[in-house]
Amino acid sequence: MDADDKISKAARAALARQYQPYLEAEWGFKNSWYPALFSAELKENEVKGVTIAGHEIALRRARGQVYAIRDRCAHRGVRMSLRPTCLTDDTITCWYHGFTYNLSDGILRTIVASPDDPLIGKVRLRTYPVAERAGIIFLFVGDEEYLPPPPIEADLPIRITDDQNPVAHILDENVYVRGIHRLGNSNWRLAVENGFDPGHLLIHWDNLIIAATDRNLGLGARPIAEDAIKIIDEPNGPKGMMNMYNTRSYKFFGENREIGMKARGKHPYYARTSVFLPGLLLVEHWPVPAWAQYEWYVPTDDKHHEYWEVLVGRCASVEDRREADYQYEHFFEPLALKDFNNNDLFAREAMQSFYERGGWNQETLCAFDDATIVWRKLAARFNRGIQESPYRLAAR
Amino acid sequence: MSAVEDTAARPGARNVTLRFEDGDERRIRVERDEFVLDAALRQGVPLVHQCRSGSCSTCIAQLVFGDIVMAAERATSLLATEAAEGKRLLCSAYARADSEVRLHYPAALIDGAEQRMILAAVAALEWPSPTVAKLTLELPEDSEFSFHSGQYVRIKVPGAAEWRSYSMASTARESPRMAFLVRILSGGVVSEYLRGSCRLGDEIMIEGPMGAFILHSSRAPQIFIAGGTGLAPILAMLDEIRYRPGPRPPMLLSFGCASEKQFFYRDELELRQWWMPELRVILSADQVDNADSELLRATPVAALEQERITDPQTVAYLCGPPPMIEAARQRLIEMGVAAEHIYAEQFVASAIEKPDESA
Repeated sequence: MDADDKISKAARAALARQYQPYLEAEWGFKNSWYPALFSAELKENEVKGVTIAGHEIALRRARGQVYAIRDRCAHRGVRMSLRPTCLTDDTITCWYHGFTYNLSDGILRTIVASPDDPLIGKVRLRTYPVAERAGIIFLFVGDEEYLPPPPIEADLPIRITDDQNPVAHILDENVYVRGIHRLGNSNWRLAVENGFDPGHLLIHWDNLIIAATDRNLGLGARPIAEDAIKIIDEPNGPKGMMNMYNTRSYKFFGENREIGMKARGKHPYYARTSVFLPGLLLVEHWPVPAWAQYEWYVPTDDKHHEYWEVLVGRCASVEDRREADYQYEHFFEPLALKDFNNNDLFAREAMQSFYERGGWNQETLCAFDDATIVWRKLAARFNRGIQESPYRLAAR
Repeated sequence: MSAVEDTAARPGARNVTLRFEDGDERRIRVERDEFVLDAALRQGVPLVHQCRSGSCSTCIAQLVFGDIVMAAERATSLLATEAAEGKRLLCSAYARADSEVRLHYPAALIDGAEQRMILAAVAALEWPSPTVAKLTLELPEDSEFSFHSGQYVRIKVPGAAEWRSYSMASTARESPRMAFLVRILSGGVVSEYLRGSCRLGDEIMIEGPMGAFILHSSRAPQIFIAGGTGLAPILAMLDEIRYRPGPRPPMLLSFGCASEKQFFYRDELELRQWWMPELRVILSADQVDNADSELLRATPVAALEQERITDPQTVAYLCGPPPMIEAARQRLIEMGVAAEHIYAEQFVASAIEKPDESA
């Protein structure tokens, strides 16, 4: 090893230390709002189980309202959502031995076959704050003592104001919100870092939507000025960063002569991409101008994430919605959310076993990876706590 | 149990209620000529203590009502200001009436607490400044040694007969590794060992954990004042807060060293500031020669001159030499911090050890 190598190794170690909390966040950041289900996925009286950052949570809608409670019966640890049993409007009952809990505060209300049991009123399952907004059920996942939870706006993208034709915010009135979510077989951080990666256009240059719209995304982009990455740090609001692809601060490479490769497409198309805590993406003017794609990479456990792809557009009238439905079903979902983003999901999964086996200290980052490092540093600073591994918690 | 009944009838014995931070209480009988701490230990209440001679201040408690007096025959480290506030060192105090004292730690701290002696191995030795060593010890994997951030252990280095006390600069999360900051003193047993024969893998005996200088569950703003290696338990506390459940409180750390040359851990504090936007840090040194120094030329207490508190529940943690603690306590009370919200740990060099001026 020569002297230069030693220096760069030391410099890298110092840099990595700055984002050490991010490296520790295998199970995600806690004390954050995460999407759990689309509203339409939880009908009246239905019970469904989700896992977010290792927290197993049962959701039930009763009289329209959604409740979230720990999905493990205090008695023998049964996952209650596996065989939903609800005997009243305000309780959930474990299907195995009949432990019945209040939905509102989680207190053990009765035991079906032991109505005078001394445990009644004493035992409690923790509950989770719920916010149902824009057709999505969000949960505040983390420490029970984190009260009150911050407003959900703090864990959503900023409202865009610096654009002639700003895309809608998901909480705006008269918006159309529709999308899909599915399991990704990789750690959530690999997913976030893929979302805004300026160097990853190679996997997209020949996708159906690019060919069909005759767009030129380039082969990759590299920040060349200080303002290429804009830090977002709103007091009590969103924290994150914007990749200013729409400015000259990013240099796009459309051609590589060494290997004779050239990006196709007549129309250069640079969609600004932003990433926010706890790990969500905003792509403006995507998949078509005036629309926005939101993505969440919700940590499930340390090796999986729930990949949420949601499109947000303005729709004032019934006709607008009908047209949006048609566009969504015949264009946006198959070409953008599926064909295009399938490549992203594939790429994240291709890295998983490397990162699982110490890759965080073995990667070799290059000139277009500035954005990745800036994100890691910001994430290390602005998270509201690192979710501890449930295995480690159990060992205490 | 029987001890209580046996002594109940004897003249001059007093009832003393020990009230813990978590509301738990224990009652003990204290004989006329008996120190309160001795009575507690005799009756199976292992109050936090160490020196049993009035010097270490570990056993400090707050008199709530009654009459508990410091032993006139003993010189102790209790400050005049502390005595006036009703603080008492239980190892050197008599009960003159039925009384109640408040301990500044939860009963849980003593319930499961078991002081042990363990043989640890030197895992690393670093020099953050010419006068400060960072010693990292590794405990045996199966030792299951646990402690609260802010506590200390006693250490006996190879070849030494005496024990020395050092606060952990790391948290229990990092176990089985423990880090310590050692102020280098000429003639100091640990200092001479670290500068001389210390080798990786050396076996060092530790005993602990000790002390009740621990974090209290409060969401109010927190002020930390540290002088020199008094930073060690404060650093552990900051790291503890970083991982503690719930939102983090606003924090202010004032850290000072004797001179700019001896200043250390600027980088470590910068990191914590980056990781916790809630943390503000003021760095100072008594002696600053460089005109463009980023250090304030002041003591860590004087550096707080411009500071005001906005929340009467503000909590303060102090660690450093006794004069610094005394000055800090006065300054904090002037600022409006309630005396019962000020927690302190004194760092005292052993009598024969002197700061190393040659370094």
